[in-house]
Amino acid sequence: MQRRSSVSSSNSTAKRTTFSEEPARTEPVADSEDSRKNASLLKRADIAEWFRDVTKAEWDIFLISTCLKLLLFPAYHSTDFEVHRNWLAITHSLPMSRWYYDTTSEWTLDYPPFFAYFEKLLSIPASFLDPKIVELTNLNYDAWSVVAYQRVTVIITELVLALALQRFIRGAVDPSVQRIISASLFLHPGFLIVDHIHFQYNGFMFGILLWSILMARNGNKLASGFLFAVLLNFKHIYMYLAPAYFIYLLRAFCLSPSGELLPGRFLSLANAVILVFLASLGPFLLMGQLPQLLSRLFPFTRGLNHAYWAPNFWALATAADRVLLKAAQIFNIQSLQINTPGVSSTSRGLVGDTIFAVIPNVKPVYTFIITIAFQMIFLIKLWRAPTYKSFVAALTLCGYTSFMFGWHVHEKAILLVLVPLSLLAAENNALFRTFTIASVSGVFSLFPLLFTPGETFVKIAYSLCWAILIVEPLSKRVYEFPTSLPWVILDGLERLYIAGFAALQLFVTLFPIFAHSRISPSASTMEFLPLMLTSVYCAVGLVWAFVRLSVIYLRKF
Amino acid sequence: MVHSPATGVRGKVSDIDHSDIVAPVPRRHLTLQRSESQHWLGSPPLSPVSAVSRTLSPISHVPLSPTHARKRYSSMFSAISESEKSHLTAALSSQSISAADQKTTEDVGMARRWTRWMHKQGLKHRVLPLIVLFTALFKWCITLGSYSGQGTPPLFGDYEAQRHWMELTIHLPVREWYTYDLKYWGLDYPPLTAYISWLCGVIGARIDPSWFALDSSRGIENPTSKIYMRATVLACDTLVYIPAVLFFVQTWQRNRSSKTQQVALLTLLLQPALLLIDFGHFQYNSVMLGLTLVSLCCFAVGHDLLGAIAFVLSLGFKQMALYYAPAIGTYLLAKCLTLGLRDGVQLFLQLAAVTVISFAVLFLPWLPPIAPISAILDPISRIFPFQRGLFEDKVANFWCASNILVKWRVWMSAPALVKLSAGITIIGFLPAVVGMLYSGYRLGASAEKSKQDSKAASEPSFGPSPVLPLLPYALLTSSMSFFLFSFQVHEKTILVPLLPLTLLLSGASNNSPTFKLGALVNNVAAFSMWPLLKRDGLALQYVVILALWNWMIGHNPFKLRHKSLVDYLSMAIYGICILLHISECLLPPPKRLPDIYPVLNVLLSTPVFGVTWLWSIKRSVEVSWGVGGLGSLSKASSAVHSPGANGHLPNGDGSTVANPEGVTSSLGLSIVGERLSGLRTRSLGYAQGKKSALGSESVGAEFN
Repeated sequence: MQRRSSVSSSNSTAKRTTFSEEPARTEPVADSEDSRKNASLLKRADIAEWFRDVTKAEWDIFLISTCLKLLLFPAYHSTDFEVHRNWLAITHSLPMSRWYYDTTSEWTLDYPPFFAYFEKLLSIPASFLDPKIVELTNLNYDAWSVVAYQRVTVIITELVLALALQRFIRGAVDPSVQRIISASLFLHPGFLIVDHIHFQYNGFMFGILLWSILMARNGNKLASGFLFAVLLNFKHIYMYLAPAYFIYLLRAFCLSPSGELLPGRFLSLANAVILVFLASLGPFLLMGQLPQLLSRLFPFTRGLNHAYWAPNFWALATAADRVLLKAAQIFNIQSLQINTPGVSSTSRGLVGDTIFAVIPNVKPVYTFIITIAFQMIFLIKLWRAPTYKSFVAALTLCGYTSFMFGWHVHEKAILLVLVPLSLLAAENNALFRTFTIASVSGVFSLFPLLFTPGETFVKIAYSLCWAILIVEPLSKRVYEFPTSLPWVILDGLERLYIAGFAALQLFVTLFPIFAHSRISPSASTMEFLPLMLTSVYCAVGLVWAFVRLSVIYLRKF
Repeated sequence: MVHSPATGVRGKVSDIDHSDIVAPVPRRHLTLQRSESQHWLGSPPLSPVSAVSRTLSPISHVPLSPTHARKRYSSMFSAISESEKSHLTAALSSQSISAADQKTTEDVGMARRWTRWMHKQGLKHRVLPLIVLFTALFKWCITLGSYSGQGTPPLFGDYEAQRHWMELTIHLPVREWYTYDLKYWGLDYPPLTAYISWLCGVIGARIDPSWFALDSSRGIENPTSKIYMRATVLACDTLVYIPAVLFFVQTWQRNRSSKTQQVALLTLLLQPALLLIDFGHFQYNSVMLGLTLVSLCCFAVGHDLLGAIAFVLSLGFKQMALYYAPAIGTYLLAKCLTLGLRDGVQLFLQLAAVTVISFAVLFLPWLPPIAPISAILDPISRIFPFQRGLFEDKVANFWCASNILVKWRVWMSAPALVKLSAGITIIGFLPAVVGMLYSGYRLGASAEKSKQDSKAASEPSFGPSPVLPLLPYALLTSSMSFFLFSFQVHEKTILVPLLPLTLLLSGASNNSPTFKLGALVNNVAAFSMWPLLKRDGLALQYVVILALWNWMIGHNPFKLRHKSLVDYLSMAIYGICILLHISECLLPPPKRLPDIYPVLNVLLSTPVFGVTWLWSIKRSVEVSWGVGGLGSLSKASSAVHSPGANGHLPNGDGSTVANPEGVTSSLGLSIVGERLSGLRTRSLGYAQGKKSALGSESVGAEFN
């Protein structure tokens, strides 16, 4: 109760003091005092209190999404399912020294050690449930036992996300808005598609990330840094976000507002991070396997684009290259130098290096430089305004820049953008519109992950439900009518763009049927047209949302 | 016929001295009525009566408004957001969270909380599309699982039967449909199923002919054909059942708030047993049930002929709709009786003609001008298979349950058993038939009398019959009697009695006996199909859908508050169900009794269904008393005005004045305590209006 009043009195989130060490209490004070007196019963009382603290609406959301996820057990699962099963087998049946050397399956262990420990932990119950799950040579095992077990572990570990989001509501400036945002994240179609159908543990990972952000919001920056270090050792893709963390923690935690270094804080943060990395990498360091481990984590042998182009800047560039190539071929323009290997390169859409035919080719180092350059702009801004909201925006933009210009970006990485962006969705109309465009195109860009007809209806219906339930209530809260003619036109164009997804989905659904019915020689070369169109169309929205967010951040924060 | 008396009532009511009304009933109760309340439907003369209640409500509201308003406020979980919006202090908002938690939110289900929230957010118009989309999503997720007979050659299961019918209807001439290779899933459903199978088959064969190639496609199991078959179920369900349920809430629950209608919609659309059988096991029951529901709605808006056609279509889709036939037939007959001699006979002849013609159209390809007269025997003998046994699998009906003690099939020959079961079935649904006919007869007689009295014979055939409130109970009695006592019953057939029960449940408030019994029977029905679902590999879906539906409607049998004896009893039943499931998981059945678990299942489920059957009879008696069809008129009117009448209500749960079920059990005829009787009985509805119109002298005397 006291906490609540203190929160509502302070408008700026940076001023929040450390009430976060304790679980938030909404129960009457007398109750909690009683439980404190009774030290032996403390734990039980806390749990009971926590249960009472969960509102009916939160139970509703949790229950309904769990029901849905359980029903999705028999749904399609990708090779990632076998990847994770194989990791269960590796960590269970091999000594630690062999983990990063094993090549029994083509799906070698390429996540950092914490994730390997996590798999080791999961493999213990699995071995009791069905010993075949953890047999190293039992490749592509997908009996009901392993499906149910792995799917259940995803649902259970996602509780980390649920708890973090629930904590976000307690102590928010406007809990009614935060409730919608929390629900939107917990029910995010991205998680349903990637985790519960395709199969990964993103809910768990993003749960840790959100805990870390929550700690930052609550003023406990040390814990925030610690949790982020933990997260990095679970999955190294979160390195995309690391620059924002580094600058924010350095500026807002290790330096005083006037810019002097606070050695005590700096050392404690450094120790915490080093400790985490030692716990993770220490054993492999001692065994002298660090180079092998790093070579597994960072394979630089892949192409610019993934098989299905992630909807980023390079997708647009590749599409432009295709168009220019066609134009050059049709009009026979001599001035353009056509790179012959590039002619047949990306139209096939296969895994492999993308070679541009017209545009100069991109080397990994270029993408690296562009990414860093963009990130620097946002980080300088963050350095000047190291508030919580600025931090979340910079975090989003760091992820966004990496997604836009990174080398071999996977479409699933869009979650790195959508999750932190959701936290800002209800700040104002401009951010809300950015969120809407990014979310709609981002979620749609995940659709090709599920190409089986049975799951098509699930992904569309679920995403539609989600969009109506989340976007409309938020829109009612923040909507402002555009003030001048250019903005009205822009607003209309954005609406048109979003409505265009319906037409795109229709095309994507119907194209194979028509292509199938009239079997023409051109059909096979056009096989990748729906994918390409999806990628380009989503890329337009995501690039636009990136521009929007950058401008908003640089001008408004 | 009611018009002028009703306006008379309004005039009278406005004369009431309001100071006499000591403790008026809050407005909530006026709108909070069971599905019986639809007897206001479509009868324009009656709207003045409800208008009276509305004009009176501000008066009745005044002494209660502060507490009432507060209760409403805290009862909405989104009230919290409201309070925060209006910049109340944080402390207050946390209080309102706990207040909301402790007070009323616990009594309602997720469906109501969600619709409240949506309305609060100003998204009223999105609720309906979301419900349709959301239920479709869940249905589709169930279809991702396995189906009946998956991977079990040579005969497979119901899925293969339906697919085989699509295959044979598109490849064979109509005359051979009912005769082709009967050993392998010969067509044994009525023609409408065959026609729809043909349509699905034609569309499917256009997409991929190999799915439905004659003979060579038998037992085909590939993912795309499975998705196509599942999609046909979803399409049929969406095209028939969803509109029917929408139609139902808009007619039978027209007087209810839109939130209540939406909750009812969710309750009906997520009915677990139906979802599990249609989308898990694989059948098209929702089409048959939907068509029956359409006919009920047609009756409710007074289009009896359309209703009759819809019911014939339902019968023509699946012969199980026959379980409803006694109730539907009796309702129409009773309506003819209420209309008096001339109009009644006219309606009766029209109905007879329409029914015969629609049957003839359905069976046209097997009828004389097109086919020889003997051809009609092909479908008929396939549809009614009396050559099969008394019961096949373990089914939770009387015969199977009593078979443990009495070996019926040893004691009696098959024809004798057919006769015996038919006889008991008829006895089983007789109460419903007799009750409705008698009510119709009484109302007809009184209508004649009042017509003679008032000379106000104004087109009586419009609008539903006054015995309409009896119809759901009669449907329940009749179908349950068929399920319990008739010949050759499948466990899936429990879906037929579940429909009227769920209709009643969907309109009931959360703590009423109807709601509790309805939820219990729905759960037990799913439980009774467990052996089937287990065989189909639908254990996960079974658990999930049951949990979801109960949470959705807000039914928690293990909540330890306000318990009556019935609640403890149902709690015990749930406990035994769960115990049986657990022990089945952990302990293999003993060698001597390999069927022990299905038998225990039957022994547990049958009494529940039997009690439901008895309950439906009891409720029909109460309701028919309510509509004034039982007892002499003078007795009925004395019951209205005798203060102690409510104490004598034959409510099994010993309901008191405060019990909302008691309120509706007699449609406000006798429920009300001494203090309320006047205004309450007035405002509650048609029966009152009618009653007071008929006995207006005495009522007027009381008011004045």
